[in-house]
This record gives sequence, C-alpha cells and structure tokens, in this order.
Amino acid sequence: MKVEVKNLRKEFGKTVAVDNISFSFDTGHVFGFVGPNGAGKTTTMRIISTIEEATSGDVLLNGVSVCEEPELARRTVGYVPDTLPAHADMTVYEYLDFYARAYGLRGKKRTQAVAAIEEFTNVGGIRDKHLKALSKGMKQRVTLGRALIYDPDVLVLDEPAAGLDPRARVELRELLMLLAERKKAILISSHILTELTEICNGVVIIERGKILETGTIDEVLKKSAPRRTMVIRLLPGSENQIPQVIRELLQTPLVENARETVNEIQFELTGDESAACDVLSKLIEKKFRVVEFRQTRANLEDIFMKVTKGGVQ
Amino acid sequence: MNFAGIRNHIANWRQWELNPIVVKELRQAVRSWAVTGMMLLFLGVLFFVSAVFFVTGADSDPDQQMGGDLFTAFAVILAIASLFFIPLYLGIRVAAERQENNPDLFYVSTLSPARIILGKFLCGAYMVVLFFSACMPFMAFTNLLRGVDLPTVFFILFYLFLTVCALNMVAIFLGCLPATRPFKVLFAILGVALSIACIGWVLTQVIRFMSMGVGSTMGGRDFWIGTFTAIAAYAAVMGLFYLMAVALVSPPSSNRALPVRVYITAIWFLTGLLTLAWVKKVGDAVAINVWFVVMFYLLMLSLIVVVSNSDALSNRVRRAIPRAAWKRFFAFLFFNGAAGGLVWVAAMTAATFLFLSKAASLFPAYLAGHNEWLSQAAIAAYIFAYALAALFIHRTFFPRRPAKITGLLTVFIIALTALTPSLFLFFLNQLTTFSVYHLELGNIINIFSMSDDNRLIYHFYFAMGCLGVMGILNAPWFFRQLRNFGPPPKEAPPVIAYEPPPQIQPQP
Repeated sequence: MKVEVKNLRKEFGKTVAVDNISFSFDTGHVFGFVGPNGAGKTTTMRIISTIEEATSGDVLLNGVSVCEEPELARRTVGYVPDTLPAHADMTVYEYLDFYARAYGLRGKKRTQAVAAIEEFTNVGGIRDKHLKALSKGMKQRVTLGRALIYDPDVLVLDEPAAGLDPRARVELRELLMLLAERKKAILISSHILTELTEICNGVVIIERGKILETGTIDEVLKKSAPRRTMVIRLLPGSENQIPQVIRELLQTPLVENARETVNEIQFELTGDESAACDVLSKLIEKKFRVVEFRQTRANLEDIFMKVTKGGVQ
Repeated sequence: MNFAGIRNHIANWRQWELNPIVVKELRQAVRSWAVTGMMLLFLGVLFFVSAVFFVTGADSDPDQQMGGDLFTAFAVILAIASLFFIPLYLGIRVAAERQENNPDLFYVSTLSPARIILGKFLCGAYMVVLFFSACMPFMAFTNLLRGVDLPTVFFILFYLFLTVCALNMVAIFLGCLPATRPFKVLFAILGVALSIACIGWVLTQVIRFMSMGVGSTMGGRDFWIGTFTAIAAYAAVMGLFYLMAVALVSPPSSNRALPVRVYITAIWFLTGLLTLAWVKKVGDAVAINVWFVVMFYLLMLSLIVVVSNSDALSNRVRRAIPRAAWKRFFAFLFFNGAAGGLVWVAAMTAATFLFLSKAASLFPAYLAGHNEWLSQAAIAAYIFAYALAALFIHRTFFPRRPAKITGLLTVFIIALTALTPSLFLFFLNQLTTFSVYHLELGNIINIFSMSDDNRLIYHFYFAMGCLGVMGILNAPWFFRQLRNFGPPPKEAPPVIAYEPPPQIQPQP
C-alpha cells in the first residue's frame, strides 16, 4: 500500500491551512507528522481519511483518489481522530460491533474480528462498560480498535498519545510497532517528539501549512544537525583537570564550542567518527583520566525547535 | 446492484442482517432517557385519559358510544406523541452526527449514504411501531366498548403510521442539511412547525374517518382508489426526501443531482397521469390545480437548489458523461451542474404549464375565471430572473465563495425585492399598508396581495423583461458550461501538476 500526498492544498476562507504539500510513505512505514499547533497536520490527516475535501491536489491510496473515490478510499484507511468517541449510550462492545457491521463483517467473522480487536487493544475487560465511563487512555484504545476493526492497510493517527499516562504511552508505542510489523502504513502526529524518534522511520515537519523537512529520521537528523555533540566525563576527583582538557580541546582541529557542563565537558565536532577517535587518543596520550567519552545524538525535538518558528495561523 | 447481484442476494437470504444503523440506533434508543421518558409519559397520559373517561363518562353516555370517543382521544394522544416526538428525536440525532467536528459514522465508515439514510428511516419506523404497540392494548379495548369498528381503527392507525413515516423522512432530510448551529436551530423550528401543522391535519382526518365509519365504505371501489392514491402520494414524498437526504450526505464528487432530478421527473409524469385519471373519474378539474401547485413549488424549490450547484464537475462525474451527442444532452440536464439544472427546471416548468393548459382545456368552465396560471407564470419568471441574478452576482463578486451561497443569494434577492418597497412605502404612507394592494413591480408577494387582478399582466411583462436581461448577462457563462460539458479526453492529462514526492526507505 502506497500513500501519495500530491500538491495538497486546503483553504478555509482566506486562511491557507495546507499549502501545496507532497510526500509519500509505504507499507511498513511509521511516518511521523510533526508541527506546531495550527500547522495543518489535522487538516491533512482529515483529507487523507476522506473526512475533509481538498481545495486542490489529491491523495492517492494505491492509486485510488480520496477526492474522486472517497467511498473506495475509505475502505483502506483507518482514522483515529484527536477527538474521542462521544456516544454516551453505547458500550465498548456495541461500539466495536457497530463499526464491524458498518464495514460489512457478518456473522462469525464479525464476532471474531471484535474479539481479536478487544484482545489486541486490551479492552476485553471493559467491553460492557459505557464509553462515557472510560478514562481517556481507554477511550483512545477503543478508537484505535474501531480504526483497526476491518484491518485497513493505512492508519492515520492524530495525536494518539495526547493525555495518556506513561504506561499507556509505552503500550501504545508497542501496539504501533506491532502494526508496522503487520505491514500497515502508519501516519502519526504527536507533540511527544522523543517517542516519535523511537517508533518512526520517516518524518514530515510542517509549519503554516508548508513542509519544512521531510525524509527518514536519519536523513533529517543529518541534514538538520551536521555536527556531533560529544561529552567527556573525567574520573571523580580529577575535576581540576577540566580547564586543561577544555584548553586542549580548543587547540584540536574540528573541535568547536568546548565548555564545561555539570562535572562534564561538552564540545561540538564537525568531523566523522574517526575524528572523534583521534580526539580521545589525544586526551589519553596527555594522561587525562577519561572514564566516559560519548556522542549525544540530536533528537527530533532539537530539530523541531531549530527548523520551526512556532508561528500559527 | 445488477440482476445477478440481486439474485445472489436473494439466494443468500440466510446471511441477511439488519441494517447496522438500525441496530445501533435502536440500542441507543432503548437506553435513551428521551425515548424512555416519552414512552412513560405517553403510557401515563393514556392511563389518565382512560381513567377520566371511565369515571366521568360511563353513566353519562346515553348512546353507549364511549368506544368511539375514547378511541378518538387515544388517536389524538398517539398522533401528538408520534408526530411530534419521533421526528424531532430523529432529526436532532442526524443533525448531531452530521456535525463536521464529529468524525463518526457519516464520514468514517464505509456504509453508503443510501444505507445510512435508510437505516435512520427504518429506525424511525421501528420507533413508530413501538409507540403504536404501546397504544394498541388501549385501542383494542375501545373496540369492546361500542362506537368504533375495527376497520376504522386499523385504517386510522395505518394512515397515521404513513404520516409519521413521511414526517420522519422530512426530519432526517432537515437534519442532513449542511448548516451552522443557528441554521440548524432554524430548521428544527421549521420541522416543529411542520409537525404541528401535520398534527392538526391528521386530527381533522381522524375525526372525518370516525364520523364516516371506514368499515361501511370499504366495499366501494372509490375507497380503494382514494386509499391507493394517498399511499402513492406518501410514497412519493418519502422517496423525494429520502433521495434528497442521500444526496446531501453523498461525497461532493459523486453525481448527487442525477437521482433527485430523475426522481422528480418520474413523479411529475406519474402523478400527472394519476391526476388526469382522477379528473376523468370525478369530472372535476380541482385535482389538476392541486397537482399544478405542488409541482410548481417543487420545481421552484429545485431551482434554488440547482443554482447552488458547482460549475466544476468532478472527474468521477465527467467519466460518466456519455460520448454520443444525444445521450450527452440528457446527461447535461440530469447531471451535476447549475447550467444543465437550469435547463431542466425550465423545461419541467414549461411542461407543467403546458400540461395545465391542455388538461384544463378539457374543462373550459374551470379555466374561465382562473388566472392562476398567469400569476404562477409571473412568479416563475421572477424566481428564474432572481436565480440568474444570484448566479451572476456570485460569479462576478464572490467567485472564491462556494457555489452553495447562490441559493441563499436567490432567497435574499427575493426577500429584498419583496420587503424593501413594502417597508419604504409603509413609512412613506404614514404607517399604512395600502401600498401592498397596489402594483409593486418586482415584488413576488405583491402578486398575491394585489386588489386588482387585471394588473397581473404588468407583473408578468416586467418579470419576463428581468428574465431576458438576466438571461443575456448569463448567456456567455451558460454556453461555456454547455461547451465544457463532456467526458474527459481518452488519454487524459494528469489532473494536477505533480512532482514525485521524496521516497522514504524503512530503516533496517
């Protein structure tokens, strides 16, 4: 299943919510969709899920246009909105059963599908509870269950981790990993960027409706943060050597911005891993008592802060 | 579904399942405090009325006809409960689900719009049956008392059932209308007003049937002709609102206009034939007038909807346009699009006037002294002129606004031309309303309020003049639409300019 977003544009009156964006992702990919509030993430996701109409451009799901054939496209997309089910008078089982019926599952197939989803999303124990009585995390699971009930090839998740406790987040992450293993193409938006770094293959960073960065996580990280940040820790009791180490580092080629942090020395290295190796050899040669020498990787959060301006529309 | 599909469907009858919407709605209805509360209130009122009748009426009825009186009272309660509560409940539920911030049901599932609307309708029908069955023991009891025969009981219940179902369909349609919350409230008020009107009308019919006694008239052919005509009229109304509701919840890229326009054309033809048959049988041309008025206003409403159609056809619709010229002409009339829709309404309106004149010529006495056709012709010309003016204004001044505002603009122009001169003259004439009885060209309402009908012709000429001017202003647009109406070229270029997006490879 290939999802292609082509020159997508959406206007609300004079406001351009999504401005000519294009990207694509494929089966087995978990694609992060990142941007500040009002960047156009939800609008894009709603268009992909056939809920919103595009002003121009299109989204193709294996060649099926969501603008021209929304009924057909809807069969391949599972959408988890940022709003939770609002039905006050339905139980979890009835909710899932209704959607299984709505997607044309009949008889035993439907019973099996509902049972499988209850097990997968771990809502079996609350199947007879009313939706209004559920916690936010449980509602989120039910919504995910609804989106998965007919086994769609594409999953669009809008802020699924918002408001979840740490345990629920870990469980959600595990669920998403499992889904990716099951060859789903997943587009997920979240403000918890450290989590996205762990589960996503690719990322789209969007602001004011325009794409700022897109690519695999590694590509984006390399592109946006070309320097390595290195950290050195000396043996406890050798802290008096810190100023000398900093001096030594500043005289070393490719090293910049060496500084002391809390009992540690941090510096930026413009070279590759062999350059880092040379720096370490030099320090050991000079008899500095290094016990830790590590590279801190720039994460999505750093890149996000760097490329976005925080503007809303 | 083709014939083989239908055969297959029937062969697999064991796998048939209830419409998912019906299952969901009924599950929710039985838990809903509104339905439970209404049902309890309904039963309580029935008990109370029965008790009052027995306490106060048992000794005072010299004719021993208490059954009839009691049944009438029950029918009134049932009519009020079912005609008011059920359509309101259905309409509100549909309107809530239709909100754009609620990404459930109408947008997420793969249920077709037709199944969704049918499910809602069937749920309404089940609720009517629920209310009727709650009332049934009370009504059966009235038969034990004297004064009402069983055919009358069943006929009134059947008649009431059809009325509630028709009103349910109207409520679903109103709930489906895409509107903001204030407009939805306005539609709800409109629906409630319609319910109240229906209650009044049904009650007069109930009293008429009770006094007439259905059992004694059932043997005659006329009774059955009348009954089947009424059933056909109800079915026509339900079908029309069903198709309009389906069109409202269908994706904009689909050919939403086609089923509605074909249906209106079909009921125009069939009800026209039925009317002629009635006129011949009864020997009175009144039925023609009824048919004419209903069709005329239906077409005028269609006109307001038609001008709200977008000019741009989706690729999906364009792919369905036939290549043969004569087929394409019919497609132009019935497919999405304001230009084709205008021609369709114009042709249907002209045919309606032609039918009226031909049918009424069979009854010269009826035609003489009736100048309704002239007033209706003036109204039609005015509405066409204002609709064309709205199209022109939308294209010229608000091209970036959605096409659906054209219909609103038409209504606004009609209201403006009707109210402005009246209000101006009201203040000019020292707060008197004399002006409404005099000629006010451009004012549609003035056509009905003029004291001198001989001046109608001036309205007609003026309206035709306006129509001519607006026709000329819109002619370039119309011919452009006509020229552009065709299937996409066989080797269609890409719909949008497209640069290949960056390809992402999964991490190892």
